[in-house]
Amino acid sequence: MVFQESFEWYIALYLFLGGVGAGAILSAAFADLYDREKYVNYIKSASLIGMPAVAIGCFFLLIDLGQGLTKPWLLIYLFANPTSAITWGTAILTLFIIVSLLYAAYNFNFIKFGGGKITLLSLIVLAIGTAGYTGVLLGVLRAIPFWHQTLIPVLFIISAISTGISATVVVKEILFSKKKENIAPIETGHFYLMVLEFMMVIAMIIIALNGVPEMVFSIKVLLSGKYAVQFWLIFMILGLLLPTLLYGLQEIKKLHMKGSFLIIIELLVLLGGYYLRYLILHAGVFTEKFAHYIG
Amino acid sequence: MIKNKKYVMVYAIDRCVDCKACMVACKAQWQVPENHFRTHIDEKYSPGKYAPNRKYFLPSQCNHCDEAPCVSVCPTKASHKREDGIVYVDRDICIGCKYCIVSCPYDARFFNEEVGVAEKCTFCLPWIQQGHQPACATTCLSNTRIFGDINDPNSEVSKFLAEAKRNKSKIWKLREDLGTEPNIYYVQS
Ligand code: SF4
Ligand code: SF4
Repeated sequence: MVFQESFEWYIALYLFLGGVGAGAILSAAFADLYDREKYVNYIKSASLIGMPAVAIGCFFLLIDLGQGLTKPWLLIYLFANPTSAITWGTAILTLFIIVSLLYAAYNFNFIKFGGGKITLLSLIVLAIGTAGYTGVLLGVLRAIPFWHQTLIPVLFIISAISTGISATVVVKEILFSKKKENIAPIETGHFYLMVLEFMMVIAMIIIALNGVPEMVFSIKVLLSGKYAVQFWLIFMILGLLLPTLLYGLQEIKKLHMKGSFLIIIELLVLLGGYYLRYLILHAGVFTEKFAHYIG
Repeated sequence: MIKNKKYVMVYAIDRCVDCKACMVACKAQWQVPENHFRTHIDEKYSPGKYAPNRKYFLPSQCNHCDEAPCVSVCPTKASHKREDGIVYVDRDICIGCKYCIVSCPYDARFFNEEVGVAEKCTFCLPWIQQGHQPACATTCLSNTRIFGDINDPNSEVSKFLAEAKRNKSKIWKLREDLGTEPNIYYVQS
């Protein structure tokens, strides 16, 4: 089996940061629709991290482009092909960056009128589009069977919302720690998202183990092959199970996380989110071209 | 009406002796970067029905697919299908996003670090426009590689394929189940 070697950690970071930004804005837009007053600091934190995360992600894509920096005028061609997921993504991300920038300006009172519900609804659509795009980018490729699963975009969207909430909480803890703000409903939502993500990862493992040989190969590389330590220790235990357990304890009121402890746990979720993408990228192998030959 | 040219290649795989002269010729012709080749020879075993497994040397390169995923995923349209059937990368437009590389089910592309673009076999365009054969086909000492216009019934490829059909040779293309409509024919007598 031949590993793909074209998409490396730059792209993992791009997909991850795209997800973080989208997830942060998505959660903020919902909180805003629900009760703006109650979550105002959460919303501000999210708009501080949302647009920059996506923009920095795009920067990593840019430096990964072979000719993006030397011939920047070529960037306009990224919009040229309506059948390419990159063209859709570039369009969605561009709009996302513009609208979330406006949203941030409004939240910090630089502009008086924020567009109200229309802005919020378009942010929700664009954020889901952005998060989904990071998965669809891989999901449409038949050449790499492990990526070619419906589950991947769904898993990436869930992980995007989860990491987006974590990043927002980190910003909020750092900037607005003095102002008490009860975000219990968001925390509860986050807990269920993590549980859902865990179940989706299990589903991904089972589906891949029962898939074509290339998929079996890819998942074994993660479960017991060269990425096993990163997969189990960093992604599964530190990035997913430990935070989920602690959120769970918080849900049943056995624990109350705050301050630097909370920040560390949220950073673990972020680390896990990055590793999820990194590992899925690196486990990708090309479909076997000489299928009916052995060895 | 004159039909467009449609360039294809045939590999008469029984003839390949794994000398890799094609790989070297291609590399020399097009200054392919150090760690890469535009064509490869794989060693595979065919499960033998009666006899022990038989070893085959299987060449591969870009299949110049009719329904090429590399073309449909290329955001800049640098990768495009020409009228003569060749799938070509326009280096002036390719931004080097590498998306085409991961979209090709035949792993036929690679990233040229020196120029910052995606690269692959071009059927030796523009060399063939001057009436030459592709470097790999010229060099192949066992005549495994036969190149030409399949829309011309008198071309060497058309004749070879017609002959192979008459002889009931096994003729196939790689992973046709993927719907890519590749244009390299593998023939095994
Ligand atoms: S073999 Fe690969 S690179 Fe060549 S046309 Fe087909 S998909 Fe594109
Ligand atoms: S690397 Fe170049 S040819 Fe390939 S998809 Fe990107 S822009 Fe198109």
